[in-house]
Amino acid sequence: MNEVLLAVLVCCGIAVALTILILIVNATVGNYGECELDINDGSKKLTVEGGESLLSSLNSQGIFIPSACGGKGSCGLCKLKITAGGKDVLPTEIPWLTKEEIAEQIRLSCQVKVKNDMKLEIPEEYFNVKEFSTIITSIKDLTHDIKEIVIDLKKPSEINFKAGQFMQIKVPKYELSNEEVYRAYSLSSSSSERKTLEFEIRLVPNGICTSYVHQYLKEGDKLTVNGPYGDFYLQDTDSEIVCIAGGSGMAPIKSILHYMNEKQINRRTRYFFGARSRKDLFLEDTMEKLEKEMPDFKFIPALSSPEPEDNWIGENGLITDVLDKHLEGGNNTEAYLCGSPGMINACIEILLKNGVPEDKIYYDKFA
Amino acid sequence: MKQSPKMKQIQENMKPGVVTVNGFIGNDKRDLVQILDQDNSIVRELKLTHGMIADKMQDFRDRGEAGLGEFIKIEPHFDVQVISVRGGIRCPFEDKGLIQKDSITVKNLKTGGEINYTDLSIHFIRKHGFYQGIGSLYRLNPERIVEVLEIEHRG
Repeated sequence: MNEVLLAVLVCCGIAVALTILILIVNATVGNYGECELDINDGSKKLTVEGGESLLSSLNSQGIFIPSACGGKGSCGLCKLKITAGGKDVLPTEIPWLTKEEIAEQIRLSCQVKVKNDMKLEIPEEYFNVKEFSTIITSIKDLTHDIKEIVIDLKKPSEINFKAGQFMQIKVPKYELSNEEVYRAYSLSSSSSERKTLEFEIRLVPNGICTSYVHQYLKEGDKLTVNGPYGDFYLQDTDSEIVCIAGGSGMAPIKSILHYMNEKQINRRTRYFFGARSRKDLFLEDTMEKLEKEMPDFKFIPALSSPEPEDNWIGENGLITDVLDKHLEGGNNTEAYLCGSPGMINACIEILLKNGVPEDKIYYDKFA
Repeated sequence: MKQSPKMKQIQENMKPGVVTVNGFIGNDKRDLVQILDQDNSIVRELKLTHGMIADKMQDFRDRGEAGLGEFIKIEPHFDVQVISVRGGIRCPFEDKGLIQKDSITVKNLKTGGEINYTDLSIHFIRKHGFYQGIGSLYRLNPERIVEVLEIEHRG
């Protein structure tokens, strides 16, 4: 009898001890307390609650690091230099980092957890990045699968960006997504327009943000965006310009062209745009207007498979073939490309073959 | 078949919010090992292999890429569009490297059938025989792929 009682007491004792241990672990492990983030050699010091990713911690303090995947480690955009406190590179970061970047202490900020004080280097241009509350003022179909979205900035009410840069759109929870996500889209409006922004967004089957924009968003809705980001913008030179795009790759090129027109930058410019048939071609009127207003600008659309009813008399074939046919190229040419990796790689080959220097080829690859 | 601890971990990786917002299992209540096993049986009944299915999907993807983002005609009666999406994605099976995020749509103009898949779908099928859980956004029934892409069985 005593033995049974003793066994029960021992079991109860173990259970109580385990419960206390669990409570202690819960209260200590994962509770990192306040951590200090020292940015750019003490030029900014932030105190944040430990336990969150570095990306989230910085976002919560109003410092927005580019990220097209919402912190899932699947875009590789949120790279930062962590000079102290970053600990070892994680397996989830390795696919995104070159050996050189690892040696230079570059890390993916969405994967690094803040567990202690850290020293970071953040490019100055990121401090210009802000989060904006906006209202949708216009949604227009440009093609059967591309919409033009115009938003009015409310708070802050103005933005500074370079034509060609991109913003991140915050998609709230909705049917296709049980959490908020951010996705990156190029601006199509001129950078001289500081109170409204315009995007051209193509529907990607099952895409979380593109489905939201195409099927749920309506005029008058609120939308949160942050930015601007990116190093794809017009270079301040006198070189001749070749622009190449397809589909929603039109957006940053249009932004650059509007900017050039407004600033009367009259560099010789040829814009090659690829589409399948007439129904995939858009903004022809805008391009025609720019051709009239800009002294040396020519828009060269090419259709790869025009329908008989298109009555197409313009260029036929893939954009690469049309580019090869018309490109004058040479040393004094700069090229601006926006589109799929396949399109960009194919066009770079043609540009190089036609003497455009590699260091003068700028691109925004959707990769 | 019993699910190993490794498979349990992989199924955790497939939950919403880990690798992608919506994950890869959908509302499927089965263990991952059962999902794999049942789709494997279907493929065997079709007298095909996962590799044969993945090869055909890859072939459409590669040929469709020539459309540079637009639909392109592929003989004898297919329309294919490959849309590039920014970024890459990790495989929840913990394979090394990143997989592109291209979205591929194939329309069979003869039957009217259409499927949409991604580079990760091809990788899943080729390497793991995984067609995703029922209710997942990119779940593809093997029979459906075979029907739309007109994959011919062996012998």
